[in-house]
Amino acid sequence: MTAPPPSGKDDAAGACACAHCGLPVPAELRRLVAPSFCCPGCETVFGMIHGAGLAHYYDLQRNDIDRAALPASPRFSTYAEFDDPEFQRLHARVEGDHRRIELYLEGVHCAACVWLVERLPDIVEGAVSARLDFGRSVASVTWEPQRVALSKVVSALDRFGYVPHPYRSADRRALARREERAMLIRLGVAGAVAGNTMLMGVALYAGATSDPAIASFLRWLSLGVSIPAVFWSGQTFFRGAWAGLRARTLHMDVPVSLAIITAIGASIWDTTTGVGGVYFDSVTMLIFLLLSARWVQFRALRASTDASELLFSLAPSTARLVASDGSSREVPVETILTNQVVEIRAGESAPVDGTVLQGSSRLDNALLTGESLPVEVHEGDEVSAGAVNLQARLLVRVVAAGENTRVGRLVAAVQAAQRRRAPIVQLADRLAVGFVVGVLALSVASGALWWSHGAQVVVERVVAMLVVTCPCALGLATPLAIAHSLGAAARIGIFVKGADTIEALTRIRTVLLDKTGTLTQGRVALTRFDGSPQLSEKVAAIEAHSSHPLAKAVLESRSSKVPMIEAIDVTDTAGGGVRGRVGGEAIAVGNAAYLATLGCSVPEVWRKQADDVARSDGSPVLVAVDGVVCGLMVFGDALREDAVESVASLRKLGLNLGILSGDHPGVVARVARQLGINADAAHGAVTPEGKLNRVEGLMQGGTAVAMVGDGVNDAGALAAARVGIAVRGGAEISLASADVFLTRGGLAPAVELFHGARKTLFVIHRGLAISMIYNLVGAGLALAGLIDPLAAAILMPVSSLSVVLSSMGSTPFSRKPAVPGNRPLLVRGEEVAA
Amino acid sequence: MTVIYVLLPIAVILAFAFAVMFVWATRDGQFDDLNTPQIRMLFDDDATSVASKPRDVSIGKERS
Repeated sequence: MTAPPPSGKDDAAGACACAHCGLPVPAELRRLVAPSFCCPGCETVFGMIHGAGLAHYYDLQRNDIDRAALPASPRFSTYAEFDDPEFQRLHARVEGDHRRIELYLEGVHCAACVWLVERLPDIVEGAVSARLDFGRSVASVTWEPQRVALSKVVSALDRFGYVPHPYRSADRRALARREERAMLIRLGVAGAVAGNTMLMGVALYAGATSDPAIASFLRWLSLGVSIPAVFWSGQTFFRGAWAGLRARTLHMDVPVSLAIITAIGASIWDTTTGVGGVYFDSVTMLIFLLLSARWVQFRALRASTDASELLFSLAPSTARLVASDGSSREVPVETILTNQVVEIRAGESAPVDGTVLQGSSRLDNALLTGESLPVEVHEGDEVSAGAVNLQARLLVRVVAAGENTRVGRLVAAVQAAQRRRAPIVQLADRLAVGFVVGVLALSVASGALWWSHGAQVVVERVVAMLVVTCPCALGLATPLAIAHSLGAAARIGIFVKGADTIEALTRIRTVLLDKTGTLTQGRVALTRFDGSPQLSEKVAAIEAHSSHPLAKAVLESRSSKVPMIEAIDVTDTAGGGVRGRVGGEAIAVGNAAYLATLGCSVPEVWRKQADDVARSDGSPVLVAVDGVVCGLMVFGDALREDAVESVASLRKLGLNLGILSGDHPGVVARVARQLGINADAAHGAVTPEGKLNRVEGLMQGGTAVAMVGDGVNDAGALAAARVGIAVRGGAEISLASADVFLTRGGLAPAVELFHGARKTLFVIHRGLAISMIYNLVGAGLALAGLIDPLAAAILMPVSSLSVVLSSMGSTPFSRKPAVPGNRPLLVRGEEVAA
Repeated sequence: MTVIYVLLPIAVILAFAFAVMFVWATRDGQFDDLNTPQIRMLFDDDATSVASKPRDVSIGKERS
């Protein structure tokens, strides 16, 4: 079923879809003559696309049934900073007469976007080529600097609705790409070799040995073909084993290398002497299968890492530098020096640390410190990089920029914490020790058993034992299960960045939660209104005239269905409150001091209530009608809707919960009480360093700790914890230091993550068990002298296939949030018991 | 059966040639992005020419 074409015309039902994006058009924007648009952004982009003769875009878009409706929101910036030489040195590459830049584009949502973006050279004179990677929304754009400025090129992208950002992880990405290509080539060579040796192996098993000349020819040819696979593709295992041995640890690469070397050695010997069987097909197949599993895991990990790294590109890259004449221009933030003056407009975040030179405003420090209420700043006050300016334009003198900012220093602390953290030894690698010992013991046993049959037979049996017990399926079980699980997790917005994270998650005992933004909304909201409903409507009417953050919270809390009543004569007093007239009544809203200046009387009941609120959990605001207080509003950071349920789910998993917050202890205690978290485990007013120390202290005490947080102040703790879980909407730095990154807000995805990790570990265990059974059967057959190259060539793929099916057939992460206790399993258990 | 002494080396050389092509294609970056090409192939190359020559678009124009 295709969606109705976004024609911009009314359909039969009277609904009207935006001519650009297909979303419903609000009634007030509907036009009598088509096309209509849902927003000015869409209208501009629609005009641009038609003006450039690219209306074909809409035909393509209509054909794409998977497309997500997304209104266009061009930024209409000049993008002057893209022309700065320093900016281009950082982000662009010179290629002959051309230059190339990788841009992360916001707003790429359908297949037609690929077409539109790649038409860029037709639209902008001097743009040479544009290639869009649809999966990552990263476009590679080449342009001629002599003919066109980069700002013109990126402005064109912006006007088509794709807001461009310089792709910041380009270097890291290039490295990863080189590694991936090398891996793929090794895999391809191993695959080609495995296929060809297998064909020759089939000829040998089918009876080609009856003619000694042909048999010898096939063996020599197999030997020649196998060499690149074993000694070039197989290097990965030898290197890993050697590194492990030097570090005095055994991991899976050791038994794998042992099997490869024994099998290839014996096969070469048998080929030159012309006696005994050859294992070329089994060896090359083993290498191919193990490399494929590693490649699959590598790609799944890369996809998760990419998803979080793309967010770096969204971090503000420019600052508005103010010249001595008062004019401001956008420059790359990297070029800012101390003592320069920058402008921070309302809604922007501070690019540097500094002191306010001019202006006063409110700053949202939630991501930096965990404080949920905005902080007022005036001339002379300090501003930290990353703080969001909520209200009015500020001029700030730069005290520190780049790495010297508070945030920058925190990055250094995060990296140090990451270095201190011990790596996790994966289950399969822990098994490797016992495995090597077992295989060697079995080989000795096999040799002893066949000792009386002469040296030739003994060697044959020992080789057969080593080959048949080679940990092929064992090596596949973990990477495949993890790759499959990571893929499933990514589809529901959970990005796991490390292969060992899944296992680490299952061993977590304590989960520490950040409050602001994780347990709570992270912004001011009206949490309580004492007074009549009519009064709340009147207050809303007054607050509609105010730009104060609390006024915004009042308006957000009210239902939009009720028509707004009109207020007149509204006066807004900064730092006090607001007053006006609604329907003949004089309404005043503000703190007690403000109401006192207006001569309002505050009855004792209300004064006491306001004092209680101020002491415990929020900011009280009083409402007076005709000079008498008769209402109270409480503002605070409201709990997320899913918080209570999620906390209960985590507890049911047997996890200890605690809160680490930078917010005031009183507020933290209230949240802990609401969630049923022990007051001893809820800590308020913790500095970023304090969070890090607490986590490291617990870890040193032997507790496996997971930290869930979103802010800059959590970054150190996220890095130090066994598993750091970052919640999107937060700061990029916390994403960088976390092992897991959740694109959906709140704790519900974290609960799914813990469930999914446990299920994945079960699948890994199942895969390991299956491969162990095959190995035991193989070892038994080898002891009995029943393993020849043919039997080995059959056993290995069969065991590997079982493990692949076991891993791929699992559903570790499902879209439905898992709620323990509601599982039908319990019901079935009761029936059985009855 | 002596023909096998000719045929097998030819087969192996062919396989080698394909392996070399694979290596070249990988180094060329043809496997870097596996999502976009499947979309790109659906676009008609002459789709732009339908709308004749695209008009010059004034990029610097602000919201009017």
